[in-house]
Formats: sequence, C-alpha cells, structure tokens
Amino acid sequence: MTTLTDRYVCAAARTLPETQRAEFGRELRERIGDVIDAHVERGAAPADAEHAALVELGDPLQLASSYIDRPLQLIGPKYFLTWWRLLKLLLAIVVPIAAVGVLLGQLISGAAVGEMIGTTIGTALSVGVHLCFWVTLVFAVLERSPGTSVPVTTWTPDQLPQPRDDARAGRLGDLIGSVVFLTLFAVAIVWQQFGIVWIDGERQPIPVLDPALWSFWLPYFIGLLALEIVFAVVIYLRGWTWTMASLNVLLNVAFTVPALWLFLSGQLFAPEFVEAIDWPWGDASGITVTVIVFVVVGVAVWDIIDGFVKAARNRGGSALGGY
Amino acid sequence: MDTDETTLGHIQELRRGTVVLACLIRLRTPDYGYALLESLNALGILVDANTLYPLLRRLEKQGLLTSEWNTEEARPRKFYRTSPSGERLAAALTTDWRRIDDALARLDTGEAR
Repeated sequence: MTTLTDRYVCAAARTLPETQRAEFGRELRERIGDVIDAHVERGAAPADAEHAALVELGDPLQLASSYIDRPLQLIGPKYFLTWWRLLKLLLAIVVPIAAVGVLLGQLISGAAVGEMIGTTIGTALSVGVHLCFWVTLVFAVLERSPGTSVPVTTWTPDQLPQPRDDARAGRLGDLIGSVVFLTLFAVAIVWQQFGIVWIDGERQPIPVLDPALWSFWLPYFIGLLALEIVFAVVIYLRGWTWTMASLNVLLNVAFTVPALWLFLSGQLFAPEFVEAIDWPWGDASGITVTVIVFVVVGVAVWDIIDGFVKAARNRGGSALGGY
Repeated sequence: MDTDETTLGHIQELRRGTVVLACLIRLRTPDYGYALLESLNALGILVDANTLYPLLRRLEKQGLLTSEWNTEEARPRKFYRTSPSGERLAAALTTDWRRIDDALARLDTGEAR
C-alpha cells in the first residue's frame, strides 16, 4: 500500500536528476517522519498527523526545487538583461528587413494593394513572434543548463544611450528621407523591368535598363541600396563620425563609378528603350550626356562632403560638451 | 500591514547569513535536521524548515558539513557535522559578525562619525 508520504516523496523526487533521487528520498522521508512525530506528540491522530505534515511541507515541486536550486523563473537575473537587449536588437533589425523583403517580393509579382499590405503585416507579426519565442527558448535552456557559462556581456560606459537630444531628433528626418528614397530607388530598379515608358498615353512593355544587367549589376546595385539603408540607420543611432564619413565615400564610389561606366559605355539602357526615345538626339546628345554625368558626380561629391562636414561639426560639438 | 511586511522582509535579510553561522557552530556536535531546527528555534534563532533543510544540503555540497546516516534507531536519520573547512568559515563569519556589531555600536553612540 502506498502511503501519502510515498506519493509525496515520489512526486518531489521525480523532478530531480536521477543520481540524486535516492538520497533525496531518504532525506525527505526523515524530515516527514520527524514532522509527523511532532504532530503526534502534540496529540494528533497518526493519519491526521501525516496529512498535516504534508500540508506543512507544501507543494512537492516547489520543495524539490528549493533543494536543488532549480530556478522557478523562465529567465533569471543572470541572463535577463542580455536576453532583453538581444531581443530588442533583433526585433529592430530583422522585422523591418523581413517586411521590406516581402513587400518587394509582392511588388515584383504584382499583387493587389490590399493583399500586399495584409501579407506584409502578417509576415512582420509572425517573424516577430518567432523571434521572441526562439530567443527566449534558448535563454530558458541556458538558465537550466548547469555549467554552461555564456559570456554575459560586460557593460561599458560606451553603451550609455545618447539622451534623446536635438541631435538625434534632427537626424530622424534624414533617416526617414534616406530610407524612403533608397527604397523607392530599389523598387524603381525592379519596376522598370516591366515598362514605365509611355508613348502617346500607352504603356510600352519594354524595360529601361538592359535586362542582361540582371546577371550581376542590377542585383549589385540593389544590394548596395540595402547597405545604404543600414548605413542610414547607423547614422541615425550613432551620428556622423570620421569613420562613417569615410565609409560614405566608399559607398558612393561603389555606386557611382560602375553606374557611370555602364552609362558611358552604352551598357546601361536596353536597346528597345534607346530606340523608343529616339536616341541619339542630334546636337543635344553630347550636352545631355555631359549634364547627366555632371549631376550624378555632383550628387555623389556633395553627399561625401556633407558626411565630412557633419562629422566635423559633431566632433566639435562633443568637445564643447554638447551639440 | 505594509510597515510590518517591510520590517519582516528586512529582518529576514539580516538573519539569512546568521543561520549559516548558527548551523556551523551548533553542528560541532553531530545532529539531524529536525533536532537542529528545534534547538535553534528554542535558542531564539528562528529558522523556517523550508530554509534549513535545503541549507544543510547546500552546506554539505560545499564541503562545510559532513554527513552520516544513522540507522540504529527506528527511522534512518542523516547526521550532519561541521567539517574542518566549516570550522574555518565559522571563525571567519564570527570575526566579521563581531566587527559589524562593533561598528554599529560605535555608529549608534555617535563615537565615529
């Protein structure tokens, strides 16, 4: 016959590692026996005493976890901050990228507007939920694996957040502008493939850019645009520095030089497009090409100088103890 | 009442470390869990059973207590005894306890400000 005590010990021991069960069971029996004796001494009937003793000991799972120091929380203070920072970082990066990716895919496949919005929101939500779940699961497992020590990120003063000052608020406009422009640019590169040329009010099914470029150059440019978006976000968060201004030079060169080379060597535009706009335009051709090259180079140079000017202003500002 | 709960919480905090010291000193003579609990409570060192039993286990794991099963009586009981490293810890804790007590006394009388 199994007594209440047997059942209690069994329930409590079950949650322990197998190697500790026997010893733990013995200890627990001793403890329960002593408590029962105490109740009997105070005049309780043996059966009542057992019941009362077990009530006194409380939930067997809780009791067992207090014996083996098993955490009764999903993620304890040791990992909480690391978990929280990582989760916020991942949500801020992955969800927007996934949403933009899905949106772009829908645009290319020519989905209806409603479907486009619905699918994008749905994907963003499900990516967010997945992120939360898996990140939390990994940390919960870590919390329960003795011996594994994850390098808990050591905090440094560099991580102090900038006060939400005017500097960042001012950069928010830049960020939104950059992201909108870059996204539209990338979408335009994809969209031109399906014809954006109207002749006599009729849309022509011809691409603007040479479809042969899809083998390398167009994906390259779209990739660069994605990098530029990341760059814009970093600028928003951290502000301009000399390093960022130098990176900005690289990004501009990486875009402008190949683009101009393709343009000048006549590889950029599709032959049908060139034909459709009646190129060359006689005497105006040379001037048009010159103006385009001038504008493209001018924009790049202006952007590069702007980066350095802002970096210089930033440094001066922080040296004076405020921007 | 709020104040009482706050007070209780702080008192518990204050006592937490002293239970370890009390066990280490008391278990110079071997004894089992329930007897230890009774004798500590009788002395006015109030400990909860749910604190004491896991504590004994932890101290044993840390090598501060040694244990032995006594099977001579009707029910087998685990007898704990303070180990040499437990003795050293008890000495260190006692010194610290005295130092803090001393410092608090001087603070209280305004001798050291």
